[in-house]
Amino acid sequence: MRRTRTGWLLLSPTLIIMFIFGLFPFIYVLLVGFNDWNPFSARDGLTYIGVDNYRNLVFDNLFLNALGVTIRFTFFAVLSELIIGFLLANLLARDFFGKTLFRIVHTVPLMIAPIAVGAIWRLMTIPGFGPIPYFLDRWFDVSFNIGTSSDQAFLSILIMDIWHWTPFVTLTMLAGLTALPREPVEAAQVDGANRWQIFRHITLPLMRPVILTTVFIRVMDALRTVDEINMLTNGGGPGTSTRTLGIHIFRVVFPQTDYGYGSAMSLLTLYLTIVACWLLFVSLTQVRRNN
Amino acid sequence: MRTTKHWSKLAVLVMAFMLLVGASLTSAQDDTTAWWAEAGAQFAGVTLRGVSESTPASNYVKDVLAPQFTELTGINVELETTSWDQMYDKAIRDMEAGTGLYDFVYIEQDIIYGYLANEYLVDMTQALADNPELAAPEFSFDNFTTFVDYFKNDEGHVFGMPMEAFVKIYLYRTDLFEDADIMAAFEAEYGYPLAPATTHQQYTDIATFFTAYGEANDLDLWGTTVQAASGHPSSFYEFFESVAPTFGVYNWGINQETWKASVANGGEMNSDAAKEALAWWLNNLQFAPPESTSSTWDEVAASFAAGRAAQGLVYGENAAWIATDATRSNVVGNVGVALPPVEPGVMEAAEADTGYIGYYDGGAFGLPVSSQNQQATLLWLQFVGLPSVQAEWAAASSRIVMEPTYDDPLVVAMDEATNGYYSLMQDQGYLFAGAPPFPFHPQVREAVAPFIYRAIAGEITPAEALDGAAAAAEAELISLGYGS
Repeated sequence: MRRTRTGWLLLSPTLIIMFIFGLFPFIYVLLVGFNDWNPFSARDGLTYIGVDNYRNLVFDNLFLNALGVTIRFTFFAVLSELIIGFLLANLLARDFFGKTLFRIVHTVPLMIAPIAVGAIWRLMTIPGFGPIPYFLDRWFDVSFNIGTSSDQAFLSILIMDIWHWTPFVTLTMLAGLTALPREPVEAAQVDGANRWQIFRHITLPLMRPVILTTVFIRVMDALRTVDEINMLTNGGGPGTSTRTLGIHIFRVVFPQTDYGYGSAMSLLTLYLTIVACWLLFVSLTQVRRNN
Repeated sequence: MRTTKHWSKLAVLVMAFMLLVGASLTSAQDDTTAWWAEAGAQFAGVTLRGVSESTPASNYVKDVLAPQFTELTGINVELETTSWDQMYDKAIRDMEAGTGLYDFVYIEQDIIYGYLANEYLVDMTQALADNPELAAPEFSFDNFTTFVDYFKNDEGHVFGMPMEAFVKIYLYRTDLFEDADIMAAFEAEYGYPLAPATTHQQYTDIATFFTAYGEANDLDLWGTTVQAASGHPSSFYEFFESVAPTFGVYNWGINQETWKASVANGGEMNSDAAKEALAWWLNNLQFAPPESTSSTWDEVAASFAAGRAAQGLVYGENAAWIATDATRSNVVGNVGVALPPVEPGVMEAAEADTGYIGYYDGGAFGLPVSSQNQQATLLWLQFVGLPSVQAEWAAASSRIVMEPTYDDPLVVAMDEATNGYYSLMQDQGYLFAGAPPFPFHPQVREAVAPFIYRAIAGEITPAEALDGAAAAAEAELISLGYGS
């Protein structure tokens, strides 16, 4: 009995902090999501409206557009980072001239704050001044304007994210590769397996936990990307072509001060993120079990 | 001999008089300094925190006025100047939650109605009446131009200390417009003399001409600026506050009696005139520098200052530095100012006070109810509103909130340097108007703006954009409890 009491006593600071900074805001947002609350409304305070905010979300074109942008962005960004990061990790697992320098230079983007990354890419892509539009025009006669072309703007945010986060994938993959046991590879070599077979049947299955963890982290990060895209495309433009869920929620909650609707949107996004990660986890572990 | 004696006496008298005047002036100045020191003594060491948009006027407050005030009173002032949207986010969040983080906040004229409706601000008139010992002798709300009226409630009480006021003006390059060869070429092509445009067609002609001129002469020169960032509210503002009124579409096209925006419901947001205005504005993009679709108000001023546009609508707060600061501007000495081009009938409506031709922008510092240092802030805000600090401030950031400031030698000199920007504001400022008194300003803007962004990107036509915008505005107004 006494041991239990001491245990709770020792746990209590953590539990209190978790309640204040984790559970309480969640419950608060949950409750606000069932209300109509805009301080600039003609009505005072909160008005309970049940699940109307959630019902409206299903028919909200801007929200659905933001959801689509976010899914496309997450899929292409994470997939590209995974492939490039894995290839680079394999490269860095070997010895070659200038390896240390390459590794340092390659890791630099990871150290830059997202808002600064957005600013750097904005300066590089701004039409009229940026080097990217300038050289694309000069060398390839390509007109590049992220202020008017939705495709070019989307491509730009993808490349920026890949540039920023591939080093993270490379480092985690490299850690995984260097920690792999040598014995299975050596045994396969003795049995006459070629490099592709070793990669396909030994390296890849052994690396699966690392890949899974990396994908999880990157998917969750990509789903909530706000600052660098907001900075690069000036708030998700042109039109709403790069307005991700994070940017959309920001605009609804802050400039539009629609706290009720914004809360519902945030919670639905959280729910979708959890579902996406759960599906990803189940499918990957299922593949592992089948193997 | 006798005459010489008289002159000597006269000279002695004049010198004595001058000494007397000088002494009394010094004494008055000493009295003033003593008053501020005494009034501030009880708050010495207190730090007042404020947030404002990073504009020339606000930066002057941070860099010049705040240190002066601290020297006088011992009260520290920290002004955070940040981007326009960050400034609003921070200020509204602070006042809504009542955290008291900020002692003074920038209130742009268009947001005051929302702040008043939410009772975020201290009634300064009342506060000064309740604390006569804090009322500075040289300060009076009566010193301000009628711009102060925007910050009053129905009873005439002031809730914001005016700190900047300017008009969004038509700037043009005098070196290009007054070049004999260019003038001849223009007249030969269009059949009328080159001069600042008074109609939209003339504006388009000039834009077309200079874009072609830039291309033919391998210059980085285009016909016009366009504030058309395709994901930023600045494009919404350029259209609804600067372009639509010149086509006779006022107050964003929202009917203030029914709170409806569509023509079908008595509004004008998707009227033929509004659609024509949007089409005209978007058409200008082809004559604008390529950065225009990423340009907010700051970049438009920067593009014009870089010499990349022959003409454009630019916020007047930038006029002074564009025309005079050679460290930041390539067009020093070559800047002309004029009224924006308008459709027939619009100028007459503005003169009759039934319409307006553009945006009279400006802002004030408000004292949040949540401030923990209200009395010290009252002192600070009066200091910002003193007549004696106005002239240098006006010369540095082309903003004027008091009538006598126009006559100050510093401002007169700047007026010449800007080819008459200050005179234009003084004489014809009445043709411009501030934002409509909407308490739901950012909410409707956020609902409507995506349609403007999509029109800029060419995803939808101007007509589709404004039809969609009117419907979205009405839906948002209903959700906010306006109209039914």
